[in-house]
Amino acid sequence: MKKYLQLVNFEFNRIVKLFTVLLGITFVAQMIGVVVQSRSYLNLANEKMYKEMMPQAEFLESFGQMSFLQIAKSSWFFGPIALCVAGVAFYIFFIWYRDWIGKNTFIYRLLMLPTSRLNIFFAKITTILLMTFGFVAVQLIMIPIEIMVLKAMVPNEFRLDLGVMEVVTSIPELTLIFPSSIMEFIFNYGLGLLAVSVLFTGILFERSYKWKGILAGLLYGALAVVVLLLPLLLHEFVLNNFFYPIELLVLEIIMGLLVLSASIWVSGFLLKKKVTV
Amino acid sequence: MIEVKEIEKRYGRKKILKGVSFTAEKGEITCLIGINGVGKTTILKAIMALTPLHKGQILIDGKPIDKHSFEKITFIPDSLTMLPHMTINEAMEFMKDFYTCWNQKRANELLGFFRLDPSSRISSLSKGNTAKVNLLLGLALDVDYVLMDEPFSGIDMFSREEIANVFTSHLIENRGVIITTHEIGDIEHLLDKVVLLDDGLVTKEFSAEAARENEGKSVIDVMREVYQK
Repeated sequence: MKKYLQLVNFEFNRIVKLFTVLLGITFVAQMIGVVVQSRSYLNLANEKMYKEMMPQAEFLESFGQMSFLQIAKSSWFFGPIALCVAGVAFYIFFIWYRDWIGKNTFIYRLLMLPTSRLNIFFAKITTILLMTFGFVAVQLIMIPIEIMVLKAMVPNEFRLDLGVMEVVTSIPELTLIFPSSIMEFIFNYGLGLLAVSVLFTGILFERSYKWKGILAGLLYGALAVVVLLLPLLLHEFVLNNFFYPIELLVLEIIMGLLVLSASIWVSGFLLKKKVTV
Repeated sequence: MIEVKEIEKRYGRKKILKGVSFTAEKGEITCLIGINGVGKTTILKAIMALTPLHKGQILIDGKPIDKHSFEKITFIPDSLTMLPHMTINEAMEFMKDFYTCWNQKRANELLGFFRLDPSSRISSLSKGNTAKVNLLLGLALDVDYVLMDEPFSGIDMFSREEIANVFTSHLIENRGVIITTHEIGDIEHLLDKVVLLDDGLVTKEFSAEAARENEGKSVIDVMREVYQK
């Protein structure tokens, strides 16, 4: 356990620069978004009310109040989030391959540590999770700060104030990242964890069997998807809606745990018996 | 004792090792010799479970390798196994964190022996100094067996001499060493046992001292006999 925690600490320190840079980009881009969107709204209001002499009530009726939703729907807000998602996706592969590539083959050292090789797998998957939850947590802190900036820039009467929860629940894409219930959280992030574990297993297949391993990895991925969807497929096409929704949910959770366990077992086997440096 | 028993290894369709067997005793320096591509590095990797075998078995003190074995045996490959952005100090910290057999006193001694600056960044080191750091990280572990892959490869004469001096020092004493090298001349007089490899097989396994004493032949003489016949 101690070695696992040490490895997590070590792996996380290795991503901390990339993590900080992505957070910095997110913060700066979203702040610029708040300022740009607010100013463009205020410029529009100025133009209509002072140049075209439109009464304030008519302006508000025609153009509506400014709310954080306008910012949250802009690319200033979503762009950096997409960048962070891409960063995590890239890192899922990079976290393994960087230890093999280049002059310094660090994988030698990792595989020769006096600890179970599965700890390397667990440490890397934990790092991906920490990175993901880190982005989500910091984004949750950023939104209220951005709302405060919006409040400071746009006068009260032109503004519709929304809380963080209202913002999140109003945009379907955001509910993926910020689930509103425990079940949604388990579903979204459980599925994410499963996907990462299957991808890790695929990467280890490739590292163990090279070209044949890519094929084995793809087959493993396809098999994992089929196993995961099996209850749904049976329910829909074979058993004529046989299950109650709760039964279906339980079956899906069981299948998810099965795929996760299989990924851990196969990865452990590959790391111990088949991997080549 | 390290026992390598009838090991076989293929890369694709090419059979690299066709049933290699030999033993390496604790307290002895065993040298694996053979032309490039004969599978010397593969044997060392296989001992450390860094590459799978198709057949055969390797035992360390009678047991197959497991996670605990890495406190007992270490491998010093010809490439550095630490992150380039680390300093030598940070690399030593890493080793200290993960290995209970890490001996800081010996590490400090090796730093002095090789005249290395612990605050140097690994990526900024010359090839000779990189090889020395690699040796330092391996030899500062209190392990029974040390595997070294081409420790003299591509480094200058003075660094070679410094590394060769390690073999006559207490840093190696009482340990079992398996070394692969082309630069046999640097350490010929220090070898206890020689394993000659050719075409995926052990062509000759002999005691260097016995060859010297009984037949009046150096290791190079025996190599000539085997490889040039």
